[in-house]
Amino acid sequence: MIQRQSLELALPGASIGAGAGAIAGGLTLLAGQPAGLAAQSALTLAVPLALFGGLYGILLGRGIFRPGTFGPVGLYWMAGFPLSRLVQESLTGVGLADGVLPFLAYQLMVSLGFAIGFLWLHERMMPHWLLRHAEGNPRAEALLALYIRQAQASQPRSEKGARR
Amino acid sequence: MPIRKLPEAPPSVHILGPTVFLVALGVGMGESYMWPRLVLLFGPEIRWLFLIGVTLQAVVMLEMARYAMATGESIFSGAARVFKPLMWFFFIVAMAVYIWPGHLSAGAAALEQISGIPWMVTAIAGLILVGVVFSFAKVIYNLLESVLSLLIGTLVIGTAVVAAMVGTWSDVVTTITGMFSFGYLPAEAMTAAWFPVIVGACAFAGPSGMQQMWYTLHLRAAGAGMGAHIPKVRGLRHAGEEEAMPSRGFMFDTDDPAEMAKWKGWRRWVTFDALLLFWGITMLVTISFTVIAQAAVRQNPAVRTAIQGDDREVALTAMADAVSSAGSSALGVIFLGFIALIGLNATLGLFDSFSRGQADMTYNFVKGAKKLRMSHLYAGFLWGVIIFGILILLFGPADGPSGILDTLAFLSTFAMGAYCVTLLLVNNRMLPKPIRPKWWTNLIIGFGAFFYLGMLFYSLFAFGVVVG
Repeated sequence: MIQRQSLELALPGASIGAGAGAIAGGLTLLAGQPAGLAAQSALTLAVPLALFGGLYGILLGRGIFRPGTFGPVGLYWMAGFPLSRLVQESLTGVGLADGVLPFLAYQLMVSLGFAIGFLWLHERMMPHWLLRHAEGNPRAEALLALYIRQAQASQPRSEKGARR
Repeated sequence: MPIRKLPEAPPSVHILGPTVFLVALGVGMGESYMWPRLVLLFGPEIRWLFLIGVTLQAVVMLEMARYAMATGESIFSGAARVFKPLMWFFFIVAMAVYIWPGHLSAGAAALEQISGIPWMVTAIAGLILVGVVFSFAKVIYNLLESVLSLLIGTLVIGTAVVAAMVGTWSDVVTTITGMFSFGYLPAEAMTAAWFPVIVGACAFAGPSGMQQMWYTLHLRAAGAGMGAHIPKVRGLRHAGEEEAMPSRGFMFDTDDPAEMAKWKGWRRWVTFDALLLFWGITMLVTISFTVIAQAAVRQNPAVRTAIQGDDREVALTAMADAVSSAGSSALGVIFLGFIALIGLNATLGLFDSFSRGQADMTYNFVKGAKKLRMSHLYAGFLWGVIIFGILILLFGPADGPSGILDTLAFLSTFAMGAYCVTLLLVNNRMLPKPIRPKWWTNLIIGFGAFFYLGMLFYSLFAFGVVVG
């Protein structure tokens, strides 16, 4: 039961990671490569990105990350994104021709951009997802309450205060 | 101004907020086309000007936010408090610059390359769709923030994945080190052919023209600082539910230490937005597009020649074709897809911002306008600009969309110099002393006025050309 509750929290992040991996597959497919290679390229990036994305949701539910804060998420993806790309390139690509270190250094830089995009989308999807799953999932309910508290704090206008 | 309580700042440095509008508007032709083009022509060292341009815009953003968050008023109202004709100047500039649908054509043209659908059909359908959606929205800001966040998030993730797959460490090293080659200007850059182009590119580094001024309206709509006391603009269908709009803003008690502590919280919040989201994303997208352009030239040197021409559509197609012909057709499609996405973001953001700004000035400063609701005025400007845009697209000037963008770039630069001066006047004269800008901030904004107006007039007097 606890596993199912955690997995539900993992789904939005996992979907974003998988979607980003699918872009890689599309890129390979449209480049005229065989469908099998495109699928392999997509899968080898989508799987690790989805795992890292999902793990983020679980850790968010456990209170290790705070909703919407960038710093820790940036650090998280500075590890997660280069590793995911390393897996992909090791299995399907040619990106390691320049050596592992320059490759990882470059991926490290790009990872911060990926982290911003990931967090931006995650913050949009997660509250809607929680609204649908809060009932029957105490972890989702607690996280939703946290989001609601934050939303209330950043939208403090009272009806009275709004009038002339 | 009446005194009200300043709300608490958001508890954490939260990533969602009105900066999405500035990013949507700011990440446009400058980042995806003008600067990659200049890098290919003059080398990565030319990017020091981009670094100055974007950093300057981040400081401008913080100063725009200062007045808007302290009062809940737009910068236009602040300008009117200093000198009313100043506000009317911006009203007229906005009408002159932003009614042209030029920003729409680039994205639609890119979509035509991908889908084959004539760009005019997409552009007109897009215009009508924007009008209908904004008219039916309950609270326009909320809808637009959600849509833009999803689009920008997708753009950022997609750009990151593509850049990760096609770029190399050396590409990004040359791109970044180039940003610190302060003072680099090759002889060719100082010619009548290219200097005006550089001036235009500097104006398009980050948000151009009046986009920073509109950011004050989005801060207010997001309820940032004293903006929390101002009602939100609703779609035409829900105009009846709109609360009465106050005729002036509010001020908090700057002698109360508790209120000042909250003010510092709001400043931290907006500084995070300016540095990470605005500066960071603008840099990321430009570096990524520059890396993509460098990869394109590596694969097909002919792209350099195509880019040297001043026809934007030809250059964009050449960049896309070059990478496609070199065996990576996907990159061409994705490149054009991003151009289309950027065009869509800019269109959504611009139509809302223009209507919001003009409605704000009309409501507050045109006699009798208060008989209408803000939502009615907003809808009037929105549909006005949509109908005018459709007419121009159908029967407009024969020299096409590029000509429209050139005019926009000229007036943009002038407006940017003018708003720096306005900011200095408004923040230093209208705000209570404890929350006025520091001397070094004033110095940077003063440098901004000099940077934009100086380059504009130097180009005019030295080369007889205003902006390229």
